[in-house]
Amino acid sequence: MSISEFVDGPFWYFSAGVFVIGVLWRLIGMLAMGTKTDYSAPRASAASGAIGINITRFFPRRDFWSRIKLQVVAGYLFHVGLFALLFFAAPHIEFYRERVLGFGWPALPEWAFIVFAEIAFLGLLLLILHRMMHPVTRMISSRGDYIGSILLFLVMLTGCLALARSHESLRILHFFLAELLLLYFPFSALMHTFTFPFSRGFMGAHYGRRGVKV
Amino acid sequence: MSFFCPKSRTRSLAALLVLGLLFASFPASAQEKNPTSPIMVPNPGADLWRAVRQRDAPAVGQTQVGGVETGVLIDTSGEDFRNFRREDLISKSAIFIGAFAALILIFYVTRGCIRIPGGRSGRKIRRFPDFDRTLHWFIAILFLFQALTGMILLFGRFVVLPVFGPEAFGVIASACLEGHNLFGPLFLVALFLLFIRFAAKNIPKRRDLTWLRRGGGAIGEGHVSSGFFNAGEKIWFWAVIVLGLTVSISGLILDFPIFAQGRETMQLTLIVHGITAVLLTAGSLAHIYIGTIGSEGSLESMTTGYVDENWAEAHHDLWYAEMMERGETVIDQKEGKQETPPMNASPDKA
Repeated sequence: MSISEFVDGPFWYFSAGVFVIGVLWRLIGMLAMGTKTDYSAPRASAASGAIGINITRFFPRRDFWSRIKLQVVAGYLFHVGLFALLFFAAPHIEFYRERVLGFGWPALPEWAFIVFAEIAFLGLLLLILHRMMHPVTRMISSRGDYIGSILLFLVMLTGCLALARSHESLRILHFFLAELLLLYFPFSALMHTFTFPFSRGFMGAHYGRRGVKV
Repeated sequence: MSFFCPKSRTRSLAALLVLGLLFASFPASAQEKNPTSPIMVPNPGADLWRAVRQRDAPAVGQTQVGGVETGVLIDTSGEDFRNFRREDLISKSAIFIGAFAALILIFYVTRGCIRIPGGRSGRKIRRFPDFDRTLHWFIAILFLFQALTGMILLFGRFVVLPVFGPEAFGVIASACLEGHNLFGPLFLVALFLLFIRFAAKNIPKRRDLTWLRRGGGAIGEGHVSSGFFNAGEKIWFWAVIVLGLTVSISGLILDFPIFAQGRETMQLTLIVHGITAVLLTAGSLAHIYIGTIGSEGSLESMTTGYVDENWAEAHHDLWYAEMMERGETVIDQKEGKQETPPMNASPDKA
């Protein structure tokens, strides 16, 4: 079995399996923990607090804006760019159609793909550097935070290096790194992709029930 | 920081030996004309095309196909450009960068690391806030990536191909081209941010002339005064802006050949892009040298954001005096006692 056959075959199934089972395991585990029953009389609706905070947390608080504008701007650039690349890049849609879902959807034109790739790289590089340069963020960052960010950067970089689609080895390198990311994903802070609505909702319900404006 | 400022010359001499060997082989291989043996396959249409090329007729003919230079069947300037690129641009660029690096190395071996006068004081002054350092490393990473991929594209046929073979070189060159084209526009964004953030501090002042006349302290006795940035740093800043803009704009012209750029425009742009990139690379070698092994305590300003008080006094005395007058950003770090830096500490605008 050649390296490309291994990466395209068994290793893909293994990494995809670990990703799906790992993510479900963590989500179910988290939700199964439940919450303690609160016997106090609610001052306001917990549900509206949970929903409200899920929306308001998308916007930075004005009081903090001057101190966090780099993280906010870079964060949005990166996440929007990555989302567009992951779900609307023509090679990815082709992959989902052939290997995962059996159907596809319209892809971004080449120029839009380039624009989103640019803004995703811009955001991610600034975020990694901010993590390394800001003393407080550096202090609270773990090795896992760096591994996740750098692995993601390498996946994006190799994907763009393979853009010409003229060399199979570049595609295999990109795919291999993406599989490593899938393996790492459930055990890392990258899980925030799925857990953020729940963690926000938990906090929102907690404060909402006590009548705290969030 | 002793790694960047070794006390003995042994490491310096070892570095000189290794890098000397590296550069000695570099221009020679760049001048090599035929790194691989060509396979001779006679072209059946060679006689016809030779006749077309050497015919006595206007170079531009008539065609119904609309577009730039669609009336040109064979452009002889292409061959001239190819020869110029291979024989002049590439070899001379390699010699220039190699010679520049050798000069820096000779300077390092003879002069050594410039130490902090009086040693470290143990007290720190904040020089660059987090955003400035983030921006510096952002443009540095982009530049290093662009320089590396650009060098592979320029010299790869003579340096990478003989080592890795044609198949691997094809993969490496394709990856470098895609990466280089993609990250180019980001460099322009970084350059814009750099200009916004640092231009005000780099406006030339009368005292910079004195600094230049005295060669930054190398000529004559005593110290030369300077503010937040000295004249040498200001020259580097404006060189980065001007050369960076040139390399970025020429890169965009090459990156997007959809705006009716003719062959001549593209060839000229490629030459401008190559020469500017080589100048920028050579300048960056000097910048990296003086920021790391050339001067003790300099790198800290861009890693931690703080510099030693004695370093500030020696290299930027006017800024140091102003900071001492304010007295708000000096941190006592004597005997390993490290106080938390004040969150509102800000470097000066001198």
